[in-house]
Amino acid sequence: MAGQGLSGGMRMYDGNGGHYAGQITVEGLTKQFGPVTAVQDLTFAVQPGSVTGFLGPNGAGKTTTMRMLLGLVTPTAGTALIGGQPFHRLGRPARIVGAVLEAQGFHPRRTGLDHLLVYAAAVGAPDTRAAELLQLVGLGAAARQRVGGYSLGMKQRLALATALIGDPQVLVLDEPANGLDPEGISWLRTFLQSFARAGRTVLISSHLLAEIEQTVDQVVIISAGRTVYQGRLDHLRDAQQGRVLVQPSDANALVTALRAQGITRLEPAPDGGIAVLGVDARLVGDIALAAGVAVYGMYEEKPDLERLFFQLTTGASGAGLAQPGYGQPGFAQPGFAQPAFPPAGFPPPVPAFPPPGPPPPQPPPGWARSPGDPHGLQRPPADVEGGGS
Amino acid sequence: MIGLIKAEFRKTTTTNLWWGLLIPTVLLAAGWAAVTGALGNAFTDAITEGTTAQVVSALGVDGERLQVALFGMARSINVATIFPMIFGGLAVSNEISRRTITTTFLTAPTRGSALTAKLVVYLVWGAIFGVAIGAAVSLGTVLTANPGLLPGPGGWLALCGVGVLLSILMTMLGVGVGALLGNVVATTTVLIFYMLIIENGIALLLAVRDIPGVIGFLPNGAADGITGSVASAVFLAAAGPVPDDIVEAARVLAGAMGAFDWWLSALIFLGWVAAFFGGSWALLQRRDIT
Repeated sequence: MAGQGLSGGMRMYDGNGGHYAGQITVEGLTKQFGPVTAVQDLTFAVQPGSVTGFLGPNGAGKTTTMRMLLGLVTPTAGTALIGGQPFHRLGRPARIVGAVLEAQGFHPRRTGLDHLLVYAAAVGAPDTRAAELLQLVGLGAAARQRVGGYSLGMKQRLALATALIGDPQVLVLDEPANGLDPEGISWLRTFLQSFARAGRTVLISSHLLAEIEQTVDQVVIISAGRTVYQGRLDHLRDAQQGRVLVQPSDANALVTALRAQGITRLEPAPDGGIAVLGVDARLVGDIALAAGVAVYGMYEEKPDLERLFFQLTTGASGAGLAQPGYGQPGFAQPGFAQPAFPPAGFPPPVPAFPPPGPPPPQPPPGWARSPGDPHGLQRPPADVEGGGS
Repeated sequence: MIGLIKAEFRKTTTTNLWWGLLIPTVLLAAGWAAVTGALGNAFTDAITEGTTAQVVSALGVDGERLQVALFGMARSINVATIFPMIFGGLAVSNEISRRTITTTFLTAPTRGSALTAKLVVYLVWGAIFGVAIGAAVSLGTVLTANPGLLPGPGGWLALCGVGVLLSILMTMLGVGVGALLGNVVATTTVLIFYMLIIENGIALLLAVRDIPGVIGFLPNGAADGITGSVASAVFLAAAGPVPDDIVEAARVLAGAMGAFDWWLSALIFLGWVAAFFGGSWALLQRRDIT
């Protein structure tokens, strides 16, 4: 019971080394399909009480990871545990975890109700639960219809009802939005959030951040079988704090003034402008005023999560994204291009304010960063703008 | 485990497959029995008329008392058990093909428990098919065979009893082969071709080479031995003392050429079932369900 105390409260211990009943722990997970490495040394954890997005482009290893977690695929190395146990040791697994998987089949000649009655019996749930769940997922009217006649969206709803049959602590959903209409997606979002709010765990995969952005609290982002980011979505957003593009009368004077205030994450912007990272426009304006520098224009730029996700998953495999370095000298932060300000058509930025001391190394492209790394995101060329995933 | 068994039973009753296969089973069993019953009449007529009758009497056999219908019954039972075997064959292969196996494994404590529940349910279905086959064969035989050629209640019960046993074992064999191959078409094709054609070819070869003893060890040979041995034993018991040649002829007629006693045949067949089942068990334990 004592076990390795995990951060958080004291709820739902299952007596297994202090793991929460609904906690998902993936450690060093690797799967080799012949010569193909589908998942490589993947490590992440999902806590109860939250909806966690499992993101990555198609073929990143999401489905394989989920199937290893569910005991359907045997890992080549590493572990995937639910409540500290591998799937085959859960005892009555459907009471612990329910899953909606992509390649999950239905017998086309079986009715939706019969389908649920089969698995209600398997997990020891009362028969009445089958009809209740059909109502819950909005299939009450189609209960006695054969599944072969169901639409893709109806099948997804039935799959969700099946996942819920054992009243599980954990829900694992692989691209559940596929085939759902906007109304269904909105319903699913509400349902998953209330499910998580009840102290349960939701892991939901998608290859589109936008699809689950409003649903999830945290994300695990993988690319080419490796974890590239794990944490809260708003932390990811914060990690990519906005920047302020400012057009001062005297750039050097403003840079000096900003540095004097401890704001060192600066980079040159076209046309003699400065990009100030990690601060809001008001602060830059105040400092400029205090320094007696006239400001001809100022623009606050917010990071685009979708683009960030695209960069994360298309960049070279990385050990993990951390916050771009704060308080570090260096200005060559290439994280942003030039939308809106300054106007398009300006020449690419040229370093204008050499920092004191030796020049910093040029940032390598890609996302292989470690905490404290002074460099930010590598923005792809402007011609791919708007093509994020 | 009770829940899993209930679930597996519901799987079989919520689709049409069980009656879709039971109807042809009953029709084939009754039809085959009716035809062989009529053939038995013709055979009896042949040995009780003219010069043949004198030869037969000289051998100390009363042609009128021979329960010839037993042979047709045994063979009809064997042929009809093809269907429960296919029914069993689809148990796992259909789930793999339709990908319902994912949900099955997600709702069972272990893969082994899911497979065990299937085994129990298909054992029951094998018995149900077996009873239906016994009834259909009896009906078909009674319709055509001369009353004098029918077995007594004891013999009838013994033959129907091993018929149910055979049906159960054939269903189990199907489950094992189906789980091993994991594909509906492959399972059905392999089962039908092997049991109906390939092994009969092998048996013929073995008989020609004068080593029929091997036949009883083969799956179909052992299956035939279960019912054939009982049919010929009941036949011979009723026929009274007969020469050895007639004994052998009776076994060949019953389809039990080269086969062992019914219980030994059943054990041999059980060995085949266990082999396929064990193989599929080991395979399914490790198989990645993607």
